[in-house]
Amino acid sequence: MAVLAQQIVNGLVLGALIGLIALGYTMVYGIIQLINFAHGEVFMVGAFGAHFLARYVLPEDVRWYVALPAMCLAAVAVSIGVAVAMERLAYRPLIGAHRLAPLITALGVSILLQEVVRVFYPGATAPLAFPRMFVEGHLAIGPVTILWTGVLALAVAPLLAAALHIYVERSRLGRAMRATAQDPDTARLMGISPNRVTLATFVIGAGLAGVGAVLYGIHYTQIDTAIGFQNGIFAFTAAVLGGIGSIRGAMLGAFCIGLVKSLAGQYVWGGVQYDYVWVFVLLILVLMFRPQGFLGRPEGMRA
Amino acid sequence: MLVGALLPWASTVLPGGAYPDRATLQFFDAPHLVSGFRLHLVLLGVLAALLSRARKPAGIGVAVIALVHMGFLIGLGAPSIGGPVALAGGLLLMWPGLTAPAPELKPPGPAVARLVLLVAFAALVWLVSETLTAGGQSRATNPYGGAEFLAFCGLVLALACALSAYGVLAWLAALTDRHRFFAFSVMLVCALALPFTDAGTGYWMTVASTIGVYAATAIGLNIVVGLAGLLDLGYVAFLGIGAFTAANLAHVVPFPVAALAGTATAGILGIVVGAPTLRVRGDYLAIVTLAFGEIFFRAAQNNIGGLTGGANSIPGIPPISMFGHAFDKPLGVLPAGSLYYAVTVVMVAVAMVMLVNLRHSRTGRAWAAIREDEDVARAMGVRTGRAKILAFLVGSMMAGLAGAVFAHKLGTVGYESFDFSESVTLLAAVVLGGMGTVPGAVVGASLLFVLPEKLREFSDYRLMLFGLALILIMRFRPRGLVSS
Amino acid sequence: MLEVNGLAVAYGAIEAVKEVSFTVAEGQIVCLIGANGAGKSTTLKTVSGLLRPRRGEILLWGRPIHRLPAHAVLAAGIAHCPEGRRLFTDMSVEENLLLGAHLRKDRDIAADMARVYELFPVLGQRRTQRAGLFSGGEQQMLAIGRAMMARPKLIMFDEPTMGLSPIMIQQIMQTIAVLRSQGATVLMVEQNALAALTLADQGYVIDLGRTTLSGPGDQLLADPRVHEAYLG
Repeated sequence: MAVLAQQIVNGLVLGALIGLIALGYTMVYGIIQLINFAHGEVFMVGAFGAHFLARYVLPEDVRWYVALPAMCLAAVAVSIGVAVAMERLAYRPLIGAHRLAPLITALGVSILLQEVVRVFYPGATAPLAFPRMFVEGHLAIGPVTILWTGVLALAVAPLLAAALHIYVERSRLGRAMRATAQDPDTARLMGISPNRVTLATFVIGAGLAGVGAVLYGIHYTQIDTAIGFQNGIFAFTAAVLGGIGSIRGAMLGAFCIGLVKSLAGQYVWGGVQYDYVWVFVLLILVLMFRPQGFLGRPEGMRA
Repeated sequence: MLVGALLPWASTVLPGGAYPDRATLQFFDAPHLVSGFRLHLVLLGVLAALLSRARKPAGIGVAVIALVHMGFLIGLGAPSIGGPVALAGGLLLMWPGLTAPAPELKPPGPAVARLVLLVAFAALVWLVSETLTAGGQSRATNPYGGAEFLAFCGLVLALACALSAYGVLAWLAALTDRHRFFAFSVMLVCALALPFTDAGTGYWMTVASTIGVYAATAIGLNIVVGLAGLLDLGYVAFLGIGAFTAANLAHVVPFPVAALAGTATAGILGIVVGAPTLRVRGDYLAIVTLAFGEIFFRAAQNNIGGLTGGANSIPGIPPISMFGHAFDKPLGVLPAGSLYYAVTVVMVAVAMVMLVNLRHSRTGRAWAAIREDEDVARAMGVRTGRAKILAFLVGSMMAGLAGAVFAHKLGTVGYESFDFSESVTLLAAVVLGGMGTVPGAVVGASLLFVLPEKLREFSDYRLMLFGLALILIMRFRPRGLVSS
Repeated sequence: MLEVNGLAVAYGAIEAVKEVSFTVAEGQIVCLIGANGAGKSTTLKTVSGLLRPRRGEILLWGRPIHRLPAHAVLAAGIAHCPEGRRLFTDMSVEENLLLGAHLRKDRDIAADMARVYELFPVLGQRRTQRAGLFSGGEQQMLAIGRAMMARPKLIMFDEPTMGLSPIMIQQIMQTIAVLRSQGATVLMVEQNALAALTLADQGYVIDLGRTTLSGPGDQLLADPRVHEAYLG
């Protein structure tokens, strides 16, 4: 029982972190129907941005409550910078290009970013230790322990998702985003600039990924250039599972993915060596049998 | 114009005079040989002076050579004046627009056409051999090999552009098309003649046959992506399945049986992977194939069922052996590896024939319809499900066969050869060469697998450059480099 | 006010509009009529910036607007109420109206919304309901209201009566007349030539991508060629 509860908690923490990435996938897909394959890399560069700040800029003895917000800012700034450059330079020129072009481009961007960091960031050819900039130790509830960093992730991720949901539902820009997602041409007739909305979507997604990257770093205490690809796939699966285009769905899907990975690693044949595989199996099954996900609507119903 | 033509030539003289010891001579120890950059520059200068339409291509070539030259000189901390002068000359040549109209090339009679094709393909093989060997094989004997190779590439690029400017390439393509069978036979013979050229050493044969394996695989991928428009991001898994199947059977059965088994296993799994295509389309399909690829990779990494050797890989696979002769040994005057090279040439040839025939077949038209618009295709009565599965089946069988050869040729197979970056490289080869074109996949695979071999200095940047290439090609030449 | 000269628009190789010219004077209702596929909707989409012309020019108060993106055209004062209404069906009436006023930053948005509700009381009563739940006629009212929310100088209607009952058609036409009486200029595309030309100050006939006839609405109504082709 204790093991089960522990694995559930671990899975939920992973889910919370994946959820922050999944939000970016789901928003971009909702607006321009692009699987932004490189979104995982946006998360990855955010982690390295925060690492850079903590390792090379901040003084050694800085307190966590100063360092953590600063690192979040650095990660968010780097992630947003990369995402904006990516949107402007790689995706926007492709409007009207042939069908496979955006996806192949996204793949190219993903590889380019991974390799640039691996080759040029000092020490990035091997995993790097991420600075532990949060309360050490853990919270114990009966036999179940949860690192304080995990508690932080579990608190922050749903909070940010809720804030995003409210923003999209209530604000002027959010309304423009929903309008563009539903009917891009008519949205243009309302005076909405699709370029601006798309860019805003990339920026918001990247910002969330940046925060996610710092939370990921302090929780797992180690980063490398592959974290973007891996977690990006998890996040994409989560977004599809929850119903791509839906904010609540992305968080829900992410928690499911986290649970599947952590429980499969414990209980299913093959153990942790195959936990990754079960996520992919789930992904294939979902895409085949319920591509609209939990909360999405069948594709044919889109206006 | 005359000044422009003279400048490249001048630059070959200048550094020799002003900086006698280091500037250029030491770099390109064979300045006036075929691979020497000086000869290239002089050649291009003469070309530009004599043929007005070739001026721009010559300029491009000169500029490339000059940039390579400058880059390597600066890297050595010995900047010379020759480079900038040559660059200026090249730019000057590129400046003016076309002057003379392209000459009309009449289709000649069959006999002449065959002769022309024979000469053209012989020249192509010679060029390939020179390109392969340009700069030598080892950095120990020639530290500037990379630069020499790139300079040679500049020359080849310029010649290709010049021929294209005079409409010769299009003319040749038309001839090839008219005398398809003859052209194909000549090409096959010429390709098989490569071991008799300068590239006929064990080392280059090994490189060439590796390229052949990947070229055949890329053609298979080209069928799936280029013809049917189904983006497969886990394609290298089929190469792996073919390789692991053959590796496990290598000690039990002769090569042809192992190859067949590898092909069949890959084909069956191709159908399994293709099955979701009935329900999933577009971007989602790409993700499904990626997921299958990752599942295969993880399974192979963990030595699933003891079939893949896991981290230890499968060592000691015997070489192909037929008629009592092991394929890794020299045969008569032919260097070791020539036989593997011949096998891969035949394999690529078969794949090319298959691609051409499929493209013009009923199935090929069905694929084209699906690629354009699946719903419309279905409405027109195309059995889309069958056609899509067939694309996966053919593509995966091709890769499976290539995988079997791959396993025997290397003698060892490990899961690392089949990771995601290999799928990306293959995709890059297809995209680079032009999706759906026949020579495209071969040209792309050659480029992507020769360049890292020639430019070890850049091996760290290999994937980075592939990523960049994917972005740039989609942006500027979405139909690939070949289809111009 | 609006002047379109020698407009040509193509979808790929197919030129849907070949040579369309017309003018809209301030305070007028101008109507483009023509058969299906004559290029009327394409013309409107080009005016509003959704499509780019291949040739010709579009001038608003003498200023060329045919290179502006759609949102800049709206900012310049032209609203486009598209064919098939194209409401945001997942959103409420209120949100649809707010989207109509997307570019405005002034404080009168609420007052304008009240005006729309006054004009179409049914919208006011169901302002929080999803637009997708409304009937065709009610949706058309919402589409008109949404276009009004931008406070345009010129409103373009593309087939505003399509698929509506005769009573509804009459009501929509009356609304358009009211809009004009309140100072708006209207450019309208209609297949229902009778209803449209009765209302219009000026009419143009578009046939196979070209403007072939023009004249005041009642004159066109009396023209035998129009009568035969579009009213018979």
